[in-house]
Amino acid sequence: MKELILISIGIGIKSLIFIIGMFLLAAYLTLIERKFAGHVQQRPGPLHVGFHGLLQPIADALKVLTKEDIVPNFVDKYLFYLASLMAFVPAIMILAVIPFGEPINIFGYEIKPYISDVNVGLILALAFGSISIYGVIFAGWASNSKYPMIGGLRKAAVLIGYEVALGFALVGPIMLAGTFSLREIVEAQQGFFGAFIWYQPLAFIVFLFSILAETGRTPFDVQEAEAELVAGYNTEYSGMKFGLFPLAEWYIATFVLSAIAVILFFGGWNGPHIFGPISPYIWFLAKLFLVFMFLLWVHWTLPRYRVDQITEIAWKVMLPLTFINIFITAIIVIIKG
Amino acid sequence: MPWIKREKAEKIKEWFPSIKITQYKDNIFLEIEKKEVKNLLKFLKESPDYSFKMFIDFTCVDYPLHNPRFQGVYILYSPEFKERIGVKTWATDDSLPTITDLWKGAKWAEREAYDMFGIKFEGHENLVRMFMWETYPYFPLRKDFPKEGIKDTYLPSLNEPEGSYPSHDYDPYHTAIPTLEDLEITQKARMPEKKAQIVLNWGPLHPGTHGTIWFIFDLEGETVKNCEIILGQLHRGIEKLSEDITYTQVIPYTDRMDYISAICSNVAYVNAVEKLLDIEVPEKAKWIRTMLCELQRINSHLLWLGTFALDLGALTIFLYTFREREKIMDIIEGIAGIRLNSTYMRIGGVRMDLPEGALDVINHFIKDFPSKIKEYEDILTKNRIWLKRNIGLGIIKEEDVYDYGITGVVARGSGVPYDIRMLDPTDAYDKVDFEIPLGTVGDCYDRYLVRMEEMRQSLEIIKQCVKKLQELKDDKYLATDNPYVLPTLEETFNSIEAMVKDFNLRIYGEQAPEGEIYSSGENPRGELGFYIVSKGEGKPYRLRIRSGAFYNLQIFPELIKGRTVADAVVLLGSLDPVVGETDR
Repeated sequence: MKELILISIGIGIKSLIFIIGMFLLAAYLTLIERKFAGHVQQRPGPLHVGFHGLLQPIADALKVLTKEDIVPNFVDKYLFYLASLMAFVPAIMILAVIPFGEPINIFGYEIKPYISDVNVGLILALAFGSISIYGVIFAGWASNSKYPMIGGLRKAAVLIGYEVALGFALVGPIMLAGTFSLREIVEAQQGFFGAFIWYQPLAFIVFLFSILAETGRTPFDVQEAEAELVAGYNTEYSGMKFGLFPLAEWYIATFVLSAIAVILFFGGWNGPHIFGPISPYIWFLAKLFLVFMFLLWVHWTLPRYRVDQITEIAWKVMLPLTFINIFITAIIVIIKG
Repeated sequence: MPWIKREKAEKIKEWFPSIKITQYKDNIFLEIEKKEVKNLLKFLKESPDYSFKMFIDFTCVDYPLHNPRFQGVYILYSPEFKERIGVKTWATDDSLPTITDLWKGAKWAEREAYDMFGIKFEGHENLVRMFMWETYPYFPLRKDFPKEGIKDTYLPSLNEPEGSYPSHDYDPYHTAIPTLEDLEITQKARMPEKKAQIVLNWGPLHPGTHGTIWFIFDLEGETVKNCEIILGQLHRGIEKLSEDITYTQVIPYTDRMDYISAICSNVAYVNAVEKLLDIEVPEKAKWIRTMLCELQRINSHLLWLGTFALDLGALTIFLYTFREREKIMDIIEGIAGIRLNSTYMRIGGVRMDLPEGALDVINHFIKDFPSKIKEYEDILTKNRIWLKRNIGLGIIKEEDVYDYGITGVVARGSGVPYDIRMLDPTDAYDKVDFEIPLGTVGDCYDRYLVRMEEMRQSLEIIKQCVKKLQELKDDKYLATDNPYVLPTLEETFNSIEAMVKDFNLRIYGEQAPEGEIYSSGENPRGELGFYIVSKGEGKPYRLRIRSGAFYNLQIFPELIKGRTVADAVVLLGSLDPVVGETDR
């Protein structure tokens, strides 16, 4: 009994740290994105609040929190409130299963840098990711307005296609590792050439496309194509209710999915121990940021697809690719035993 | 543009003995009574000897003392013989036969005539107003309608108590403004029946519409089943206003039509007036005009490229193009003093001489710019997403170009070599060497390629202009010897004759001879034509502005049917209308 209470307290504290950390990180990811976009576009980005705009995220957060929260009369109030939470909470819940490193010993206590290591971690992450679709669809429906409705429907169409492709893309690494636990998948990739990216390039490409589609980044940002739909499904939102959508979608989801990409394909925290005891964390974060920056790079360079073209790619290109990948992987696994 | 030869026009009398031929300079207009006009137009369109296949413009002129009161003016173009002709007819009983069955492009022009003059068109499929709302009771371009409008709407001030002396020049009566009910009635009139699932109001204020165009989409899912366009949110009545001011005073209004290519509009207008007044422009002014026009064309195409890419989601191109656009803006500001609406042109030349060093800056720009175009093309031209979004969308066939009176890049994208710079070279265009890029298919991608190539050609022209201008360093830039041309500021202050001339011209205006003229220039959006009717006064009796964007936009509802909203953005971007010009 005492054991259980201690564990719950430990997990509680850990969750709190993770959530607060994620909030701060997401806030500063906005700054990274804005700086990056700025330099891509030959402008300096945020510059005036703090040293090179370092306090800008805090100013933005204060602004968005103190803004008047307008709820239009014609909306379905219950769903309208629920939608922004539905978009945000599942995205942050994926964090529960993501390991950031090996367990370490400090003062005799074993500290695990993850909240839980369930043996179906990957499936849980996928499930949480799927729930966040409801946020978008609810937002589009509850707004009771034409543009959000079209935006929500577009996003639903895109997500259905890419959820399927994403799920099948993950089968390859899982077959190689023989487990659903994210920690064990990392342990299966030892050494530079042990990373699954060398054995699963097709799965990685599909996974990358799926991240772009799931997080609504260009070239797949049809749900909020501002030239067509003003702001897409969150047109009627304001204040922090609005702020949660981009925060969840563009930052937390992108971050978390990048983390999963690193775990599945780049060997997680594996890397030479050149930074002493903290080197696993440094490797993990470095890899994560490389993936994240790659996504930003794509976002700020390419034009966007039309929605029917996106679903076409999902069903006609991505899904067959994953099947081919599973087939090849299965043969290799059988031959190698 | 070479007009039809007099002898050739006389020959039409064999078929239509009742026509009268009027000529002013080279402009030839046939006058015919109402019942014959349609036959004549049909003959001109279909006869192989004339084949005036392309519809350029239709407008009306109001003569209150004449009976019948209104005169309709058609302007046609023959792509085969490269010549123009005008046809005039009196609107007996305030009505004219519709010619929408001959040229579909006449649809909006006739609606505009109905809106502004109240002329009925027999057989028009949906004769509703063009710019004003449906319940608007007046016809503004009639001569008996006052310029300042009729103040009939009671609009009390919110902070001035009634009965007290107003604290400022304030009148509780205002000219008519549309209420929400009026707008609803207007919307119903424009699209009488809803055929599909939802009616989406795309605009008037929407990031995708590049201004204040109000689109109504009848959507089945995301597929557009029916589309209508409501214009007029930016209608300022420039044609009406210019009937009351001197020819020089109209120049700033032309700036504010197509504000993205203000100098091109300036040049098109002053060329028309100079043709009317018979003014010979100094050599140097011609070269400066050509150079600035081409700079402005690059400027306009850059803005188009940026916003077009922005519409397609490529945010970064937008800032890249604005980087270069800013340099051109600086050049224009250095020469004209103002960045956007420069009013740099004057009747008889340009306002100021080129400042010292201007040519060096332009030279630097010429050296720098080709690598930037390459940068844009590297990102976009072979980009698969770009190709997927653009190819096969909005195909405009050659017949459509003639039918709808489509001009400019949109016409050239469809392979029609219609470029006023080549057909009717004004300024120094006959002395410079350049090519006209042509498309083959006529889809959005072709229009994109044509615009990109046009920027390169413009750069070539600028190069030649700079070379020539370096030789013409100390020439005159304003033909001040001409009695119609305003003297420069320096002359006005230093000589009494110039002072008197300046006073006379500013107060009484350029006393133009009686006549009428249609002259046009190649604007980045298409042919910008000015039809000026002069009654021998210091101000135009009627100034009709033929806007390229207005006619180009007209084909939009046809092209978008069966496509999606996402395509609408691309299509609209590639047609590139500027609302300041469509609405005037």
